[in-house]
Amino acid sequence: MSIHKHDYRAYTGKVTPVWTRVLVLARYGYAEAWSSKITVGIFVFSLLPCIVTLFGIYLANNPMARALLGNGGPRGLAIDARFFLSVLQVQCWLALVLASWVAPRLITYDLADNAMPILLSHPISRFGYVLGKFIALFASLSFVTWIPILILFVYEGYASPLPWAGANLSVAGGLFVGALIWIAFLSILGLALSSWVKWRIVATGIIFAAVFVPAGVGGIMSAVLRTKWGFLLNIPYMMTTLWGRLLGVSILVHPDRSLPTSAIAVMLILACFLCLAMLNARIRAREVVRG
Amino acid sequence: MGVIDLDGLEVRLGNRTVLNGLTGTMQGHAIGLLGPNGAGKSTLINTLLGFHLPSRGSARVFGLDAHHDRAQIRGAIGYMPENDSFIGNMSGVRFVRYMAELAGLPAQEALERAHEALFCVGLGEVRYRKVSTYSLGMKQLIKLAQALAHGPRLLILDEPTNGLDPIARQRMIQLIKDIRKEGSVRLLISSHLLRDIDETCDEVLILKDGRIASLCNIEEERRSNRSFIELETVGATEHFSVSIRGLGCECACFPGGRIKLVIPEHVETRDLYTIASEQGVQIRRMNLRRDSLEDIFLRAMDSETGRAANVNS
Repeated sequence: MSIHKHDYRAYTGKVTPVWTRVLVLARYGYAEAWSSKITVGIFVFSLLPCIVTLFGIYLANNPMARALLGNGGPRGLAIDARFFLSVLQVQCWLALVLASWVAPRLITYDLADNAMPILLSHPISRFGYVLGKFIALFASLSFVTWIPILILFVYEGYASPLPWAGANLSVAGGLFVGALIWIAFLSILGLALSSWVKWRIVATGIIFAAVFVPAGVGGIMSAVLRTKWGFLLNIPYMMTTLWGRLLGVSILVHPDRSLPTSAIAVMLILACFLCLAMLNARIRAREVVRG
Repeated sequence: MGVIDLDGLEVRLGNRTVLNGLTGTMQGHAIGLLGPNGAGKSTLINTLLGFHLPSRGSARVFGLDAHHDRAQIRGAIGYMPENDSFIGNMSGVRFVRYMAELAGLPAQEALERAHEALFCVGLGEVRYRKVSTYSLGMKQLIKLAQALAHGPRLLILDEPTNGLDPIARQRMIQLIKDIRKEGSVRLLISSHLLRDIDETCDEVLILKDGRIASLCNIEEERRSNRSFIELETVGATEHFSVSIRGLGCECACFPGGRIKLVIPEHVETRDLYTIASEQGVQIRRMNLRRDSLEDIFLRAMDSETGRAANVNS
């Protein structure tokens, strides 16, 4: 029926499989995230370090460029695991900026206008809803983390006169896993915190605060109690340690502050469970009645 | 198998029993859900949608268990919630399309159906505006549009005329009638406005304090009470009353030529005029009292003990 006929008519066409409804949520979430000019601005800004790095790799591998720049140029620039660790760190912190802007857009619109009863009255579970939003955020963050970093890695493998890529495959694996862990953590943290705040700007601030305020508290604890375990609240410290280990780079200035990898993993898993509990409490069609 | 089957359904929220042992089968084309505030209407709807887990008993929609088969049920249901529920940042057509895709329509069909549904409810001209800019009446209509877009088998409308002015209310009622007339959709309409249910439904479930106060077919209920008539006559009233008793009517005469009578099914009002004409009696006024939904509702509210008698299971 064409739209000029205004009577209701039944639908008799085909229906998509139930599992694809998660992808509908992801698609609409993704579109919502990127409909903002600020999102595009942050994305472009996040790629600037990659462009600089790309240029650096070019210079490091181009004899003519090195000759033109003289001995003081990037001749001494070693493209190795430590170099890529720096790239990973920069990109991952830029991903935090992007996540803190995008995550509230994915959830707060639904919660502010009480859309959950309508959304969840469709054949989609609460888990499916969160998964759809998670996929949208995870995909968005991928564009500023592991995708450009691995492109840089491939370019270095291409530009290097030596068989560099084969010898450094473990670095690529470390970059990939390190970025995945971070953006998965950021996605779930961003969604959980956004689900508790109605105002997007406040949610953005809270996501930043959730990363950096416990770090300060952990630092104070460590200093007062003279223990390294306070650093378990320091997400930047934990992640830097983890990334260093994944890339096989030692970064510790004070070895006595070294945290076991298992402790870092347990802390991240606990944080994820806390986020899931927060989402479980908020993503509901109806308020839970107690008493 | 009815549209909705309730079997000892009990729902507890916290320590409070909100629905208490509901049993009954609803088979009507448009089922009205009536009851005072706090009777459990919205809780019953939420239970049918799988939002609440029954603590005892079960609820079935088209034979499917409301909890275990909730994904299937939700695919077959269009739900219009009572309160504001939309995504204000989206345009009307995008919002309805989104909901249709979530219900299982492919993207292209969902877009086409979204346009159709918006025209159907009368929002065609404003479909590209953001939902947050809509008036209250428009917001009600877009909730209806999203519930209709995927062509549900059962349309659940929770207080569809809430907050509407008389014209918008009439339009909403007419829309509901049109949808009912189309025939492919069953309706479950929750309201505390008797008139809305009266105009749109053929079956009514009346809840009181979480229990079924009455479950009946409105037309049948009216038919069983339609024969009560009050007459004002001039002339030989006594003789006239004897004659109409002869037709099988129960009759009581009052001073001033007033007669109250209950006529059996085979007697028509035309027969009364015929007898009156033969006997030279003038019928000055005839008041044919039909049992209104209000009567049914008030009776259900009054009868604590007679509850079981009103329930067709």
